Amino acid sequence: MEEKVIAIAGNPNTGKTTTFNALTGTRQQVGNWPGVTVEKKEGYYIYKGVKFKVVDLPGTYTLTGESEDQKIAIDFLTQNQVDVLLLMADALNLERSMYFLILLSELNKNIIVDLNMVDLAEKEGIDYDVKHLEKLLKVKFVKTIGNKNIGFEDLKEAIYRKCKEPVSSECFISNYGDEIESAISEIINYLKNLNLPYPERFVALKVLEKDEYFVNLIINSVNYERINNLISRLEKFFNKPIERVLIEKRYGIIHGVVQEALIEKKKELKLEITEKLDRILTNNFLGPLTFLFIMFLTFTFVFGIGKPATKFLEVVFEKFGGIAANFPFPFWINSLIKDGIVSGVGSVVLFLPNIFLFFFFFSVLEDTGYMSRAAIVADRLMHKIGLHGKSAIPLILGFGCNVPAIMGTRILENKRDKILTSLSIPFMSCSARLPVYLLFTGIFFQENQGLIIFSLYLFGIIAGILSIKFFGSTFFKKESSPLIIELPPFRFPYWQGVLVESWTKTKYFLKKAGTIIFLGALILWFLSYFPDPTKYGAQSNFIGRLGSIISPLFKFSGFGFWQASVALIFGIYAKELVVGTFGILFGVGNLMESLKIYFTTASAYSFMIMSLLYMPCLATFLVLKKEIGMKWAIVSLFWSLFIGWLFSILFYQILNF
Amino acid sequence: MKKLSEVEEGKYKIVDITKPGKLRKLCNIGVLVGDTIEVIKSCPGPIIIKKGNITVGIGHGMAMDIIVEKVK
Repeated sequence: MEEKVIAIAGNPNTGKTTTFNALTGTRQQVGNWPGVTVEKKEGYYIYKGVKFKVVDLPGTYTLTGESEDQKIAIDFLTQNQVDVLLLMADALNLERSMYFLILLSELNKNIIVDLNMVDLAEKEGIDYDVKHLEKLLKVKFVKTIGNKNIGFEDLKEAIYRKCKEPVSSECFISNYGDEIESAISEIINYLKNLNLPYPERFVALKVLEKDEYFVNLIINSVNYERINNLISRLEKFFNKPIERVLIEKRYGIIHGVVQEALIEKKKELKLEITEKLDRILTNNFLGPLTFLFIMFLTFTFVFGIGKPATKFLEVVFEKFGGIAANFPFPFWINSLIKDGIVSGVGSVVLFLPNIFLFFFFFSVLEDTGYMSRAAIVADRLMHKIGLHGKSAIPLILGFGCNVPAIMGTRILENKRDKILTSLSIPFMSCSARLPVYLLFTGIFFQENQGLIIFSLYLFGIIAGILSIKFFGSTFFKKESSPLIIELPPFRFPYWQGVLVESWTKTKYFLKKAGTIIFLGALILWFLSYFPDPTKYGAQSNFIGRLGSIISPLFKFSGFGFWQASVALIFGIYAKELVVGTFGILFGVGNLMESLKIYFTTASAYSFMIMSLLYMPCLATFLVLKKEIGMKWAIVSLFWSLFIGWLFSILFYQILNF
Repeated sequence: MKKLSEVEEGKYKIVDITKPGKLRKLCNIGVLVGDTIEVIKSCPGPIIIKKGNITVGIGHGMAMDIIVEKVK
């Protein structure tokens, strides 16, 4: 079948994702752009016998080589087959979308503009003469209402037709005026014979703008001195920085075009509800309160709704494990299925309801526009520890489950922020650690159970802040990028899109984590089963021997016996397995009594500290590797082991003093 | 003329953005030098400004480099 490629570009919050979902339905997959941790979404649909591959480019306002996601967009558009470039335009902010159109038009592509959210614009009294826009800008326009699924048939038809056309030579090219145009021609002359993988005029403009990436690209092969002189001359002429001149010229052109095409103007443009809500939601006093309240609600829902589903899966796995134990296979196969695969893979699948719900609420908060307000509210606090407000969201998600939290760091555009946030997320005490606290506080701290658990959560936060401070000042000297974030108008979430989005992400997690956890499960099973199959997980088996080797390390933490080490090893699977392992090793019936013999109040506390901090669970580790790379995932592993070990000793010694 | 980080809520005109990188960031979102903006939320914490249908949150560090003038 004939295959055509469509790339979707556009500003954030213009409904890019909604359109992507509307076009591709569930035939889509999430991944990463090669070499970077920016999310890549691809999907396809078939229309009139042609297969259209749709690639969702990162949402950006501009095209500079200096930012990771914009560089991706530039490279994709210039170095791949792209038959149609679909630009999402926000009818409420047409000028800014058309500004982006000017930038994109320099890349010589077949462009279609999807004028989205025309209904919202009409409510505000704005409507555009699309025919007129098409004439002035020489590109095809299609009107859609993304969240109501209106206009997509027209869009598919327009794309289909556009693919048949050659790239229009009549394409709209902005004219920046004589002085700048002659400078552009001069730079183009210097660029001749460089064989750049980008259109020459585009590069010339970028060089003129002093875009670091493009300047570095050519600086060694041209006489940059001459270009520099050219720029100084222009800056003198205009009496302002050249990048400002270019931006203002573009907006000048666009402003004229948009005003000419504007046909209705019933009332003063105003989004009153949004403004009123913003005054409350970002208020210095009410803002944090609503923030906490919304987070509280999110957690309640995620765990409230997730719990029955998790319980159900738990029962299913238990049943299945029970059945597996009686399969008419050799004993070792049954054990492999029951103790290895079912309990290993099961431990991950148990998270699925919570993970799905997390993604779901995350999308809803994003879709309504609340997320960017949350970043504003948290900014003051986050600033003190060297990050900015946007990092607060994934950190908070970490209290539920570290996995979606780390995937959530994708909203951070700066690599430094992404890595620092991801390194501290494993210290946020996720729900899987709660069973450990409940067990130990139930035995040793009955009087003030709540207080002790709270202290552990608090300590996790402190460890997270410590990590940010430590890595922020050693490995990343550069400052956090300045906070500038658009606050889109509030709107109702588009449920279909939210569902597709959360499902796609959950699937991605299951696929990636599931396979490797399966392997990990096999290894742990092997260690527990051999050499004496009748004593699964006992000291004489490999796992017990391993535990015995490790246990002296924890002598000064107060739990230098092999069972504790084995429990910690199993906890790598998933932290709630720490409890389960004690159950197996001591026997569920004697658990309380045995723990009382082995632990003291002090060592119980230091053991909880260790469980809290000691290392990301397997799933978290895999996501870390995926998101910030193997190197940092290993750093996270050793760092948390070290921190956990150090603090467990510290607490034990202090408490015993 | 004042820094954006120092003003109360109200209407202002952007006179200058002193750091080129920051200028570019703000311009790309659609807020230009010479535009009239409304400050919806002032310091402490991030500042929120509004221009037409565009609402932008700006961190304190960034707001210090934006010079504004009161509009009556």
